[in-house]
Amino acid sequence: MKNYGAIQSVFFCIASLAFGGFSIAADLSVSGVFNNEQCIHCHEKTEGDLIESWRKSSHAKSEKLVDCVACHGTEHESAATKARQDQVCVDCHGGAKDPVVHSYSSSKHGALMRIGAGQEDWNKSLSMANYRVPGCAYCHMHAGEHDVTTSVRRDIMQESEAVQDEIRAVCQDCHSPRYITRLLENGEAMLEIARKKVREADSLIQQAENEFSEQQLLPAKQQRLKMQQHLINVSLGAGHQSPDYQWWHGQPALDGDLLRIKGFISELPMND
Amino acid sequence: MRTSYVWIPLLIAAIAVPLGFYYVDWSKSGEGAGLYSRDWSPEAIFAYWNPDEFYKSVESVVGEFSGEQCVECHQAVTPGVVNDWRKSGHSKPANNQAVVYCSDCHGNNHEDLHLPTPDVCGTCHNVQHDQFTDEKRYGFPSHSLALERAMDAKHFADKPKAEVTACVQCHSVASKCDSCHTRHVFSAAEARRPEACITCHSGPPHPDDETYFHSKHGQLYLAEGENWDWSKPLSKGNYPAPTCAYCHMDNGKHQVADKAIWKFGLKQVNPLTSGNQIRRKQWVELCGDCHEKDWSAEQLRQLDAERKLSWSKLYEAEAVLKDLRSEKLMQPSAKQRPPYPGDSPDAFLQYQRIGFFEGQASAFYNVSPIERDYFEMWYFDNLKSYKGAAHGDASFVDEGQAAMDASLETIKRNAERLRSAGEGKLDKDTEGNIWLEGEYTEYNRDHN
Repeated sequence: MKNYGAIQSVFFCIASLAFGGFSIAADLSVSGVFNNEQCIHCHEKTEGDLIESWRKSSHAKSEKLVDCVACHGTEHESAATKARQDQVCVDCHGGAKDPVVHSYSSSKHGALMRIGAGQEDWNKSLSMANYRVPGCAYCHMHAGEHDVTTSVRRDIMQESEAVQDEIRAVCQDCHSPRYITRLLENGEAMLEIARKKVREADSLIQQAENEFSEQQLLPAKQQRLKMQQHLINVSLGAGHQSPDYQWWHGQPALDGDLLRIKGFISELPMND
Repeated sequence: MRTSYVWIPLLIAAIAVPLGFYYVDWSKSGEGAGLYSRDWSPEAIFAYWNPDEFYKSVESVVGEFSGEQCVECHQAVTPGVVNDWRKSGHSKPANNQAVVYCSDCHGNNHEDLHLPTPDVCGTCHNVQHDQFTDEKRYGFPSHSLALERAMDAKHFADKPKAEVTACVQCHSVASKCDSCHTRHVFSAAEARRPEACITCHSGPPHPDDETYFHSKHGQLYLAEGENWDWSKPLSKGNYPAPTCAYCHMDNGKHQVADKAIWKFGLKQVNPLTSGNQIRRKQWVELCGDCHEKDWSAEQLRQLDAERKLSWSKLYEAEAVLKDLRSEKLMQPSAKQRPPYPGDSPDAFLQYQRIGFFEGQASAFYNVSPIERDYFEMWYFDNLKSYKGAAHGDASFVDEGQAAMDASLETIKRNAERLRSAGEGKLDKDTEGNIWLEGEYTEYNRDHN
């Protein structure tokens, strides 16, 4: 990934000199319509690292293959600008109302993107604060990193220091190092609190399994299932900086789940 | 003889009033902030949400720097900040005014930097700042009281601070102008658009975003807003449809709460008091930018009717809960569970808080399922209907009302079930009580 970054920087400098300013990730001399095999055939020679990164990514390994044209379309001229914009991600990642998308679109980054996307120059590379606010790809495919699983991602505080530093560097295009550290620490602490709620519920259900039948525990277990999404919401809220997902879709929702599970279990003897 | 009695109350007042002031000062002097400041200590991140109380400068860089030097260095360190500033009016002021550099707001000494509070912005933007602080006199809910009221909330003091960071991110609107005029562009045009409000004005208790975007006003904005001239002031004739700010901050007035009649819908208000009659006139006049007066007045009456209907349902649910409480049928009882936030676990009088005036807002955790049902009915369903009615989204009114009917039904059914089980039948020994134990419950008890 680092090698690729260096190569891209060199390419960026040459391109900047040659074209007088803008990063030209897509070679404008090529136009026309291409299919996935054709993309790979050419770009393996020009940007082998990029193709290699993509092959390692969850996109390439997913059951529903997310190949070049899935994000870039078939038109070469708009290939880069199309894939940098949020809509291609949103279309696959559940649509506008999916928590993954909505936690971002209701954050400050997302809100500003909604009103500012039209004024951005999408020819620019996804780095160096070339955009007022980050879209999906700016963070998750930073500087054109095609392995989405190695860029900014969930549970980053469980990763090594080196990985955390790479991720901090992305945020630092705009934010101060200390602010980033504080946000990451707080996000992890907030998430750990959410996990405590889930573990408390798990342990209750586990103990109750010694006394009660599967059928009796069904309502508690159904409520426990809801905790899974509420836990994800806290994670999304912290990651995308959406207070609403941290809170109303997250922590108090988990509080409600937990007390209802306690309610179901504590009333069980009554049904005997 | 009799006149001497006058001295007794006077003497008591002379002792009690200063003691009261002293007590409030003392309670605010702890590690945290607000009325319960002695009960909690802040997380490090609070520095950014309440800079007035908690921000301390980084000391990693030593020296005093000029504005140009800040820009030069930060172009490399945090280019986004400098890019933003270059787009702002601060970097290219009109009328030959001086450029406003980083150092003008953050200071020159890198070991003693500060985060700009509204007072810092107010040194130049004094009209807006005066309006913003003046908003306090309209009471809460309001932007200018948002932070102190959040930190004075009992559940805020009680819960682990890393958890309630979620709250202060929005409630910090009182402590930083960039909640709406985001750094470092600080644009008035940006704050005029509805998206500026939605990060906080969204979600189950205040679906302002969804109800507005579903309304005719919002639909027009979504269809055409991209092409409107956002540099224009929020006044008659400048916009084809109103946005959040057009109605709630007409002509750019920063007292957002000044026309609030029904407040946040959390308690029943009389919408026809003399004060509210003035506010109704103000609304009708404002709607008059586009609508006929009679039509506008009728919309307000419909909102009155929606509120009245909602409160009839809420009071019915409250009555069911209060009956259960007096029959001692709530499971767990107040003594069987962690105390209401702020109460001592050994307090003689423990009771379930039902309804706004008893502190319902902090009774959403460590309560019985039936109380939580009511909390959701009150805070989610009720407000869904209210916001739908206020913003002109009939579908949300229908959904909110239907949800309240369903909640009321569930509450009544569960109350009957508890009643038929009978008093004491569900009582568990406090030893091994699942309501008092568990990883989060114990962590919450020990960390605030």
